[in-house]
Amino acid sequence: MLYLSPSPSEICLTLRTTFRLLLIFGACAHGLFASEPPAKKIDLSQFPAQTVESVVVPVPSEVFAVLDQMGNPNWRAELGPKKSFGATTDRAQDALLLGTVIADGFIAVEAEDSERVKEIGRNVLTLAEAINVRKSVVARSNSIVEKADAREWDAVRREFDGALQDVNQAMAELNDDQLAQLVSLGGWLRGTEALTSIVEDKYTSERAELLHQPLLVDYFLKQLDVMSPRLRRNELVGKIRGSLGRIDPLVSKASGEDIKPAAVTEIHGITSAMVKLIRPTAD
Amino acid sequence: MKPLPAKTPLRIPSLLACAAILLAPALAYVDDAMSFAYEAANPYAEKGWIIREDAWGGDLGQGEKKAVTAQLFRGNSYTFFLATDVETASLRVNIYDAEGNLAESKSWQRGPFAYAEIKPRATGTYYLVVEVISSPEERTGWALVYGFHR
Repeated sequence: MLYLSPSPSEICLTLRTTFRLLLIFGACAHGLFASEPPAKKIDLSQFPAQTVESVVVPVPSEVFAVLDQMGNPNWRAELGPKKSFGATTDRAQDALLLGTVIADGFIAVEAEDSERVKEIGRNVLTLAEAINVRKSVVARSNSIVEKADAREWDAVRREFDGALQDVNQAMAELNDDQLAQLVSLGGWLRGTEALTSIVEDKYTSERAELLHQPLLVDYFLKQLDVMSPRLRRNELVGKIRGSLGRIDPLVSKASGEDIKPAAVTEIHGITSAMVKLIRPTAD
Repeated sequence: MKPLPAKTPLRIPSLLACAAILLAPALAYVDDAMSFAYEAANPYAEKGWIIREDAWGGDLGQGEKKAVTAQLFRGNSYTFFLATDVETASLRVNIYDAEGNLAESKSWQRGPFAYAEIKPRATGTYYLVVEVISSPEERTGWALVYGFHR
């Protein structure tokens, strides 16, 4: 009988894994304790500027998870007529376009329209090809089609979240981080267009609160400001930069203050105009 | 500090494998930290929490703090998992609102792991304050991952 003894590296790996598990389970089992309680209040201005340099940008599912709790909006109306978008000759526009189409995917999931979800999944692939990241989203696209067929909506959402992240990661690997930012921005614009429409349709201060996203608007503005001169000179990117600056004060309410219906309408108008610029063939 | 690439939220073993490959060249110091953080998140994924595919990370000296800003939405619950590969180090993470008030509903820290949970009272900006309480290393690599559910 052949007996294979574990190599030293395997033993190390096993010990290391065991150690990790002991730490994790120990922490869970023994519950809550800390060396000293955290400060009840901190002065955020004491943090040097360079320490607050990273932003956790939410995935679209986080917004839709909240929307799920707010009745049953007419998502089919938000989805609009059936339309697939082809690539343009402008990579910046293609990146923005891809973001808007991924956002359409979330709206189609909300509408529980499996045919549209599948079409959008295929459209994502076409546009991903235009910006050289097709390979990274093939598996996602197939999975979107498969899960839409099975009407596994939560799983489809996760695949769209994943597609967005895969695109970002693939572009970062190609040193195209700035185009990746445009994909995220396109998604945010289309998502906000739909969200403001839903909020306008049945305004409550609770629904409008979802638009309180000054951090994200500020983040996108900063990203646009540090883009390469070539991208900053891009006419579409320039127009979006200008429009985003108009949204900033509308979503930056003071603590406890509501975002008023007029502000919702204004944000909707601005985002709709931007989405039309990104995909002028939509009408 | 920047978001770290990762893959596949709920399939933790494949995630660890991908993460190891992706991070190896430039970010080896947070590679293990990230795998620790995902391991800590794993039981929550099994309970239905959606664990994000991204991770955030960097390194800090002893006693140093760093704030990571996050957009959180009222109506969701969030959990944050912080870890380091320095096994004798001690870390913590706490959540503050835009006015600097402690906002978490629960937190714990044990050695190289720390955890904080929040059900935001308002939609808006929050600050995740990451701290290395003690460490034998001059710089301690850390990684933060998070999950949410409605």
